[in-house]
Amino acid sequence: MRNSGWTAFAVLMLGACSQQQDAESKSADAAAPPENAAAEEAEGAAVRPPLDPYPSTYKAYPGETVLLSGATVLTGTGERIDNGAVLLADGKIAAVGAAGALTVPEGTTTVDAKGKWITPGVIDIHSHLGDYPVPSNDSTADGNEIVAPNTAHVWAEHSVWPQDAGFTRALAGGVTSMQILPGSANLFGGRSVILKNVPSRSVQGMKFPGAAYGLKMACGENPKRVYGLRGGPGTRMGNMAGYRAAWIEAAAYKKKWEDYWKKHEEWAADDSDDKAKTPPEAPTRDLKLETLAGALSGDIVVNMHCYRADEMVQVLDMAKEFGYKVTTFHHAIEAYKVADYLAENNVCAAVWADWWGFKLEAFDTVGENAALVHAQPGGCAIIHSDDALGIQRLNQEAAKAMADGRRIGIDITPEVAINWITSNPAKAMGVLEETGTLEAGKMADVVVWSGNPFSVYAKAEKVYIDGALMYDRSDPTRSPRMDFEIGLHDNGFTGGAGQ
Amino acid sequence: MNAAMRKVFTLKTLISLAAAAAAAITAASAQTIAIMNGRVHTVSGGVIENGDVVIRDGRIMQVGAELAAPAGATVIDASGKVVTPGLFAPLSGIGLVEIGAVLDANDSAPDPGFPLSAGLNAVDAYNPSSVLIPVNRAAGVTRALMTPSAGETMLFGGQAAVIDLSGRANSITRAEAAQRVMMGEAGAGRAGGTRMGAWAVLREYLDEARSYAANPNDYVRRPHETRFALSDLKALGRVVSGDQPLIVSVNSASDIRALIRLKNTYRLNVIIVGASEGWRVAREIAAADIPVIISGMDNLPGRFEDIDATLKNAARLNQAGVKISFYDGAHNTRLIRQHAGNAVAEGLPFDDGLKAITLNPAQMYGLGAQLGSLEAGKIADVVIWDGDPLEVTTKPEAVFINGRPQDLGNRQQMLMQRYRDLSRGDLPHAYRGGE
Repeated sequence: MRNSGWTAFAVLMLGACSQQQDAESKSADAAAPPENAAAEEAEGAAVRPPLDPYPSTYKAYPGETVLLSGATVLTGTGERIDNGAVLLADGKIAAVGAAGALTVPEGTTTVDAKGKWITPGVIDIHSHLGDYPVPSNDSTADGNEIVAPNTAHVWAEHSVWPQDAGFTRALAGGVTSMQILPGSANLFGGRSVILKNVPSRSVQGMKFPGAAYGLKMACGENPKRVYGLRGGPGTRMGNMAGYRAAWIEAAAYKKKWEDYWKKHEEWAADDSDDKAKTPPEAPTRDLKLETLAGALSGDIVVNMHCYRADEMVQVLDMAKEFGYKVTTFHHAIEAYKVADYLAENNVCAAVWADWWGFKLEAFDTVGENAALVHAQPGGCAIIHSDDALGIQRLNQEAAKAMADGRRIGIDITPEVAINWITSNPAKAMGVLEETGTLEAGKMADVVVWSGNPFSVYAKAEKVYIDGALMYDRSDPTRSPRMDFEIGLHDNGFTGGAGQ
Repeated sequence: MNAAMRKVFTLKTLISLAAAAAAAITAASAQTIAIMNGRVHTVSGGVIENGDVVIRDGRIMQVGAELAAPAGATVIDASGKVVTPGLFAPLSGIGLVEIGAVLDANDSAPDPGFPLSAGLNAVDAYNPSSVLIPVNRAAGVTRALMTPSAGETMLFGGQAAVIDLSGRANSITRAEAAQRVMMGEAGAGRAGGTRMGAWAVLREYLDEARSYAANPNDYVRRPHETRFALSDLKALGRVVSGDQPLIVSVNSASDIRALIRLKNTYRLNVIIVGASEGWRVAREIAAADIPVIISGMDNLPGRFEDIDATLKNAARLNQAGVKISFYDGAHNTRLIRQHAGNAVAEGLPFDDGLKAITLNPAQMYGLGAQLGSLEAGKIADVVIWDGDPLEVTTKPEAVFINGRPQDLGNRQQMLMQRYRDLSRGDLPHAYRGGE
């Protein structure tokens, strides 16, 4: 865990080293049992909840040192390099610049990318792949724990079926990382997980190393519709009351642990004769409150599904009331009505290009939503999918939103609009230091497009993840197929990435 | 013709002209419009660079190059623009729904257990003032098959109607243009859980409808299946006679083959919607002369009937000679363009992609002689685009329905304008936009 709030407090109190534990868990191979920090503590040491009990076992696949040369490069930092080049080495972006200007190590494979466009790997901040996989039926629908309005204790990763063929189709759309969120029936849906889009036998093998967890919350119609006749909340005021009650409980829980660590520290430091023989007793863990306490401390990123402008304002006040940060409003159909307010509060708006009308809170869609959010000083627009088809063409959705913005005179170039599906979601998911742009030292998550990605005719031709060529449109051996796609028809293969 | 005598309009003034015309409800029958120097995709007769389209009295008068604009014509300079027929959505909930999840704003499908089905008539619920109409019109959609959906317990959706998107009270192009029925997995779920059940129930309906049609007067006195409502059987009369297309939801190759058998047995006029595995039986579909309405973007094995779904479906069906079109829900019927564009990106020839959302749907509903292409004598549904009509970044600059320039304003545009400036102003936002 890179972020440190609640857990950092624990670290401070104990002198234990969460960073060290994190480093260990990164190097653990697939066969190693998950770490349990509590179990490993020496006798008498303070108890603390495990930070990373289902650690990532993701490892990059091998990749060549590759120079992609001659393409139009959109860096994800707002820059465009015509006749540019990107050098990938050791799984990282080694250099980005003008074609012919890069120093290239011996043995580099050069790919002639003239006429192509290169962008950072596409990132979807709102996906349910794996949790609502294909085939879609009662056996596989694992995305929404519709049993109580607060299910902060569930973790999306425990539902992710890594054999979802949707991952392969998203890969062919250039998607290299994504956030998998629980559904939106509940006020608190549970924890999200951030994945790299590399097939694995386990979800652990897909988890983005070191990425912070997210918390999914939902405003508006969904919770009140689902729980109106099941004990509530049945109204928007009921929704708000439900969140607030939970935050009060979470704050108390957080304090209980912090008090315990403080007492334990005092006990450990106590060298007097009347020192208690046994250390103070640790509180009982509560998974629900543990997640909420993490959100309060800033360790867990808060993702709020919220369509209506007025509700976004309510939620931002609530965040102030309880001292936490809302990072992104998802499905923010009405973000354009409060775009100034969102920018002032440093909150991103993740939106669709043009979905509307499926429910009343989705009635006020405008095509210029992303552009109007973007146009505010400090505005942060993200195009998201929430959909196994939409995730395959986030570039087209961004193109629509860009074009609509330009028509009303907002100057948005492709090199800026690309940020809506690369660096902005990376920032909002807390992984911008690792990916989301083409900058030296970052993960080599790169897409080579057949042409301008803001065209309906453009295709992702090559997709590199950590420098490994995970998809190549012209090479069937670089196109993953899930187990479900084997032998269903005439002992052949069906589907696969790019189908 | 002296150029100075012509009234030359820019597209911008045309749009305000359209708004004024819509407000005045003038008899526009005498209007003559000459769209000059555009890249004209006729759909039926190739592309004319620097082409002209002359509209008079609601019809296309002339299509060609270097035409002379008639005296008194409103002349529109379309140089640098693309001119196509209006888009025709072959299947849409448009006109029947405002908000999907709001009961009083959704008439597209009956509740579970409601006893009538095939006899339901979309025209009865049609709301030409629907907010969906201007939104989709502004995106170039000029005609649509307004299609009821089947309730959860009935196979049939009811009778669909072709409408134009002018929003006028008399915007029904053809009532009872098609009947809708759910088969495949959707049918099984409505017929006891099996496909066998679904086909059996469908055959029973068709047999009873034949019996009813043979002699309606004494049908109730003859031995007959009493489970079926007379209104449903009556409505199915034109299906069993082969006059009215029956739009059948099927996806898997085996379901499509079963449908072809049924079509041949009953001599039905059938259109398939779905057909995610259509490409596997493309030649059989072509031989059976069945048009197919598909998604150009769905490539997932979402159900066991979609195992072989692929983005290449459109290209392969088209290659085999199947007449194809694209559909997308109700609110975003406008996305048929994006479906076609994606299909083109996957190998469908561009001209066939455009045809799939213009002429093909017109032909499916027997309107091929009146609509769907830019030909002299046809109804003047015309769109002037600011670029490639299948490209996601392109928008219409002018839309004509029945030869009348259309207002491209809509609720979404008004909301955008209201909130474009977020400053506090002299009065709240609620006062803005009414001027």
